[in-house]
Amino acid sequence: MAVREILLYPDPRLKQVCRSVERLDDEVRGLVRDLLDTMYDAGHSVGVAAPQIGVDLRVVVVDVSHSKLGRDDNHGCLVMINPVILETEGSKTMREGCMSVPDYTGNVTRAEKILVQFTDGGGTDRVVRARGFEAVAIQHEIDHLDGLLFLDRVSSLKTDVFRRKNR
Amino acid sequence: MHHFALTIIGRDRPGIVSRVTEILYHMGCNIADSSCSILGGQFAMQLIISHPEYDRGEQLRGFFSPLEEENLSVFLRTLRPGGEKRSELKGDLCMVSVYGSDRPGIVYRVARELGERGINITDLNTKLIGSEQRPVYVMMLEATLPPEISVEELDRIMARVREDLGVDVSVRSINPVEL
Repeated sequence: MAVREILLYPDPRLKQVCRSVERLDDEVRGLVRDLLDTMYDAGHSVGVAAPQIGVDLRVVVVDVSHSKLGRDDNHGCLVMINPVILETEGSKTMREGCMSVPDYTGNVTRAEKILVQFTDGGGTDRVVRARGFEAVAIQHEIDHLDGLLFLDRVSSLKTDVFRRKNR
Repeated sequence: MHHFALTIIGRDRPGIVSRVTEILYHMGCNIADSSCSILGGQFAMQLIISHPEYDRGEQLRGFFSPLEEENLSVFLRTLRPGGEKRSELKGDLCMVSVYGSDRPGIVYRVARELGERGINITDLNTKLIGSEQRPVYVMMLEATLPPEISVEELDRIMARVREDLGVDVSVRSINPVEL
């Protein structure tokens, strides 16, 4: 399909609550393809959410298998339609960046382990237990579906938000 | 656009930020960057400000004289063009935290080890915690390592400091992740 342009904050489309997907039709399948193409084209990205390419539907893709931090513990390429986090456990702080918020990174504390339910790209209902970096990535992408950016999760501008130094 | 470094410090009380920003607003100044905090009972404001017309500090100083009358100390410096921009820093980021009984020289010793190796401190905070009888000194700093120094090597360097000063030092790598 196509590599799509990533919307940048403060585009208002990044702040909206997305609609649930009602039917897995060609439009949604095309959206999934675009999300995967966009994520893999970025090279360093481990996830993209539909609102980042301007679509207000609850669809994200996550793949941490090629990242140093996630390659030992992951579920490969995850297509998540209408994802819901059922359980959380523990906490983990990572310095997060986001393609939609270039130039800044911030310390964000999220659950270390999650149980997440979703419909996959083939229309099958699945429940996955994720941990570590993969769990962080899934939570970051699901936040996008509710109009939340990592900047909404940092607790202190002084100690938690940093101008990106290596670009 | 010319930029100026403005520092204002005085005994903490409500309303300082409001007074300072009221003056800046009426002058037509823009706040480009700022960091304000309470340091040992003093409210310290550090700001990088800019003005579309004024290019010399002397033109601005008079605006701040009401603050001096309110027991706030004001320092203003004109920045050379480009001096307001953060320098481009290459290399891995790391966080060094130091905990120990309060004693003179902790910051100096750690900073000297870093400075001698060209390790750039980009952020530094210190605090006294614990009780009045047994104060604990805490320092946290963020630094960029030059390419030839690894986080593991810095950890080895800090092991000596740990021993010499009798403090806890931890070094950890900060890997910003793109999600």
